[in-house]
Amino acid sequence: MKTIVIGAGLGGLLSAARLSKAGHEVEVFERLPITGGRFTNLSYKGFQLSSGAFHMLPNGTGGPLARLLREIGADVDIVRSEMTTIRVPLKKGNSDYVKGFKDISFNDFPSLLSYKDRMKIALLIVSTRKNHPAGSTLQAWIKSQVNDEWLIRFADSFCGWALSLKSDEVPVEEVFEIIENMYRFGGTGVPKGGCKGVIDALEAVILANGGKIHTGQEVSKILVENGKAAGVVAESNKHEADLVISNLGHAATVLLCGEALSGKADAGYLKMLETLQPSAGIKICLAADEPLVGHSGVLLTPYTRRINGINEVTQADPELAPPGKHLTMCHQYVAPENVKNLESEIEMGLVDIKEIFPGKRYEVLLIQSYHDEWPVNRAASGTDPGNETPFSGLYVVGDGAKGKGGIEVEGVALGVVSVMGKILS
Amino acid sequence: MKINDNCVGCGQCASFCKKGAIEVKGKARATDACVECGLCIPYCPVKAIEVTA
Ligand SMILES: Cc1cc2nc3c(=O)[nH]c(=O)nc-3n(C[C@H](O)[C@H](O)[C@H](O)COP(=O)(O)OP(=O)(O)OC[C@H]3O[C@@H](n4cnc5c(N)ncnc54)[C@H](O)[C@@H]3O)c2cc1C
Ligand code: SF4
Ligand code: SF4
Repeated sequence: MKTIVIGAGLGGLLSAARLSKAGHEVEVFERLPITGGRFTNLSYKGFQLSSGAFHMLPNGTGGPLARLLREIGADVDIVRSEMTTIRVPLKKGNSDYVKGFKDISFNDFPSLLSYKDRMKIALLIVSTRKNHPAGSTLQAWIKSQVNDEWLIRFADSFCGWALSLKSDEVPVEEVFEIIENMYRFGGTGVPKGGCKGVIDALEAVILANGGKIHTGQEVSKILVENGKAAGVVAESNKHEADLVISNLGHAATVLLCGEALSGKADAGYLKMLETLQPSAGIKICLAADEPLVGHSGVLLTPYTRRINGINEVTQADPELAPPGKHLTMCHQYVAPENVKNLESEIEMGLVDIKEIFPGKRYEVLLIQSYHDEWPVNRAASGTDPGNETPFSGLYVVGDGAKGKGGIEVEGVALGVVSVMGKILS
Repeated sequence: MKINDNCVGCGQCASFCKKGAIEVKGKARATDACVECGLCIPYCPVKAIEVTA
């Protein structure tokens, strides 16, 4: 069985590694000179920044990605995060951190509510595990249950950090799938060596099983014969295959199929593609001599203009920065209407950081923004259209085809698992 | 080299430029330190860097 993978992002490499292990003859074509897509390291001034991700696996050592890596035999050491904390103003009612703040543990979020609402939340935590709410956005659902501004801020910072969305953009079903997965799999973790630690381990498996990875080779066409994928054209050379897996998201994949797609027969699929919205975000990378966050998990910051959350990966792997330095990365959601105002969005993020870390010394290393063709997430969580295409033998993997309830790379892994189930069964 | 409107501001080019000649804030911009070596061009994920004649 010959399989061609288009794109050496996380989804592509996971698929290639799994299939090469199962005995497929695998060939990966990547357009860039480097592999890993939005999940690898960028060396900058001695720091291991990243091409996208915050070097963080949403469900850590027990999550779908960690499980798939173990199944593949990819040797990755994942450091479990100590905790998730939330920075809140000292006095309830203050709308920012300027007059002082404290950090509370994630699970203590109800402590900021009135006694009555705390009871209500306690009951909801039990009842919603059996019956997940459905049919509205997270924000509308919260408002229908408990009317407290804090909960909306909390929900927005969590959705902003984890999904680069606002709580009024996320279907409540998806959030409860995510919560269920947090119970099932556990919280965040950081792979040793950062994102590239994962990518290197996957490449080692592919190469050990005789697979090939070509960088600097762009695929310009997917060959389709009688409704079935038959290979690709890369840099003017034709490569035949029994299966083609695309890591590019549905829209870009379809563009490569050209005339094979019949407007009439595939109208439903094409219409669905139009509804897909990539999510946008900004990452501000800081260098500091002293820890700014102080633990290896996420610090959520609901009382800012823009910054949703921050992590300090050197708490988990000090080698991601020069000796004695810390690498701290701040994430902010960008609303679709603000993608054209990135500079002013960034300015607000920088002011937020000053207020979150008053009196601390840090250097802004690099400011990275992501949207449209190179987004945080190709399909906003909860809108993923699955992995199948109108053609047999052509599957889509990656964050444009995530599995249900999987945050970011966990969703990428769930999507890959589902495709592997179809191919290898 | 010229950076066109495709640029998303991801900073990938800045990490590969050996001259530290790219500043990024929403979009990338080459500074006077750029020696037109072209090294950064293939690393852009959205083909935003063009060679200037
Ligand atoms: C700022 C930011 C922060 C994030 N933080 C986190 C985080 O902390 N935790 C987390 O879990 N996730 C995070 N994510 C999301 C995560 O990085 C992505 O979901 C994931 O990396 C996407 O992987 P993918 O499989 O979709 O492949 P991609 O990374 O999209 O890779 C696709 C590859 O295909 C290549 N390609 C494109 N066209 C062609 C072609 N025609 N021929 C050949 N090759 C081609 C591309 O060059 C690329 O290498 C973050 C993302 C961003 C941007
Ligand atoms: S052309 Fe060379 S010097 Fe100029 S920005 Fe690109 S890599 Fe740097
Ligand atoms: S790599 Fe391309 S998109 Fe990213 S900042 Fe540089 S020019 Fe812009």
